[in-house]
Amino acid sequence: MTTGTEVTPPPALSKRRRRRDLTTPGLLALPLGWLVVFFVLPICFVGAYSVGALSLFPGAHHVTFTAWHDFVHGSVYLSLFWRSVRMSLTVSVLVVLVAYPLAYFLALSGTKRKYVLLLVLIAPFLTSYLLRVLAWKVILGSNGVLNSMLFWTGLRSPDHPISQLLYSKFAVMLVLGYVWLPFVALPIFVSLESLDRRLLEAASDLGATRWQAFRKITLPLSLPGVAAAFMFVFIPTVGEFVTPSLVGGVTGYMYGNQIADLFGSGLDWQTGSVLSLFLLAVVAGLTLVFSRFLQIGRVTTG
Amino acid sequence: MTQDERTDRGISREEFLRRAAVVGGAGVLVGLGASSASAARLTGLGPAAESGSLQVLDWSGYEVKDLWKQYAATHPDMKPKFTFMTNEANALGKMRAGLKPDVVHPCVGYVKDFADSGFVQPWTPAMLKNLKNLNPAMVKAGQINGKQWWIPADWGFDKILYRTDKVTPKEKSWSLMFDDRYKGKIAWFDDLNQLVLAGYYLGFKSPYNQTDAQLKKSQDLLKSKKSLVRMFWSSETDLQNAFASGEVWIAYAWPADYVAMKAKKLPVAYMRPKEGALSWVCGFMLGKGSSRVQAAHAYVDAWSSKQAGSWLETNYAYGAANTTARPADVGLMKALQLDNPKAVSEPLAHIDRYIPRRALYSKLWDEVKAS
Repeated sequence: MTTGTEVTPPPALSKRRRRRDLTTPGLLALPLGWLVVFFVLPICFVGAYSVGALSLFPGAHHVTFTAWHDFVHGSVYLSLFWRSVRMSLTVSVLVVLVAYPLAYFLALSGTKRKYVLLLVLIAPFLTSYLLRVLAWKVILGSNGVLNSMLFWTGLRSPDHPISQLLYSKFAVMLVLGYVWLPFVALPIFVSLESLDRRLLEAASDLGATRWQAFRKITLPLSLPGVAAAFMFVFIPTVGEFVTPSLVGGVTGYMYGNQIADLFGSGLDWQTGSVLSLFLLAVVAGLTLVFSRFLQIGRVTTG
Repeated sequence: MTQDERTDRGISREEFLRRAAVVGGAGVLVGLGASSASAARLTGLGPAAESGSLQVLDWSGYEVKDLWKQYAATHPDMKPKFTFMTNEANALGKMRAGLKPDVVHPCVGYVKDFADSGFVQPWTPAMLKNLKNLNPAMVKAGQINGKQWWIPADWGFDKILYRTDKVTPKEKSWSLMFDDRYKGKIAWFDDLNQLVLAGYYLGFKSPYNQTDAQLKKSQDLLKSKKSLVRMFWSSETDLQNAFASGEVWIAYAWPADYVAMKAKKLPVAYMRPKEGALSWVCGFMLGKGSSRVQAAHAYVDAWSSKQAGSWLETNYAYGAANTTARPADVGLMKALQLDNPKAVSEPLAHIDRYIPRRALYSKLWDEVKAS
């Protein structure tokens, strides 16, 4: 971290420093330009749509904040948003809990084949996202793999399959968890991999049990990876709309579907823009909080 | 259940192709003879005055050459170039973003929205030789202030598809969509049309233009019955997959879905509710500022031909606006009532139409989904 350490350079260095000053903006120009053109400007457009400064149809229009007002005072969109956040949080927490032991095993078990295993973990990504989601339909359906097995074993009569498996909130969370698991395992794996093993040896020398060593050393040092992993899954899933539209049915409808509907079929770009910006603001806020948390984690453990 | 609402045999793929080839071949022969002469006669210019590919903004699946064979014969140098729309809002969005199609294919409920948008202009009926064969009720639906803004092309019913081996309707009514006995086995269409359907079910006078109090009742009905519903379908593939695999037994569906389920040998019926079926009609509008106006007319005239219509009916199981068009299979024709031009209009069916307060309908439907 580079905080508050401004030092005046000696005169001999100032010329080199100036050249470096030109290099930095030069190198930054492309990514910054990219961000401005493809991120900041589009958001400005969305903002303009949200207050009616721009609209789908040409012609005279005036700036109005009614869409924002309706959004804040109507209960429908906000409650849908919180429902989506809850679903997304559940998925994120569960996936992190599942991914942690997985990453732990890969990083610390000392197996020579850990990179091969890592490759196996991300192998499903060689197939299309859509295909993987659709495959779950085959597994979860009323006549799907799971239900067929239940019929076969006699645990369930074919007239009464477990229908909540598909087209439900459960299906959405299961598929999202499945899809994001490798993404979550990776940052945790990386943070565990870079762990200094000598710390564990020292802990053992000083008489710590394995559990104590894990709790006092491994876990705190891997927390930045866990936090990053959590964000990796939370941010995309809270605005997710493909998976819910495929396996969500009536109860799995999420905030992202609402945005897609408003733009896609509702002709209401104004409300759609409001919903999008709200989502963006919440996600950006959370990212700020978490990035702070990440740094605190580094400072307190490093 | 009457016999005319079922077809007793599905049509195999080979049969489809064979018939398509026969019909399509005939189309070329007729098209070559008739319309090159007529286009030249009507316009007084012939196609040579315009150039470049004809820009068509259309639904995916409608780029098939059999649907515009006559145009291909008269305008070999102006092949259509297709851009696909997923719905009307999507098409308007694309045009808003600068796409300038010569021809665009919205459904009848959106004709006024498109006309008001300033992206389209009216047709010249005299340049459309086949217009006289199109269903008059549909042609009329495309008129605003005496101008022909929209030419009908394809249509279908919205009726109830259900499994005859699993479901016993109490009566032929939309009430089947709200039947507590079949909780978790019902599919609704993901569209504000559900509010219109509810309006007809509740016996309102103008379900396409309900009062606030009526809308409230319709919405309350949908909200209270939502727990019975397994899925809101937005793509036919989704619906057909769910229906074929037994996830749902009752669905708001289009004719093509009925035919597809028949082809899978499922015992299904396609029921016309006593409140009247709904029907959708889609058609063509002419892009404003188009530099290929004559070609656009020729293209739409090709779509309006008997040959193209018959191909559409035979292969997609949609109705054609051309009332002389016939599918190759008589059973299909009877089941879809393609031989009765009045089946699609009042009082038997309610043609989709402009909804003055669509934004409100849309919002209320969104609320049903989000609740």
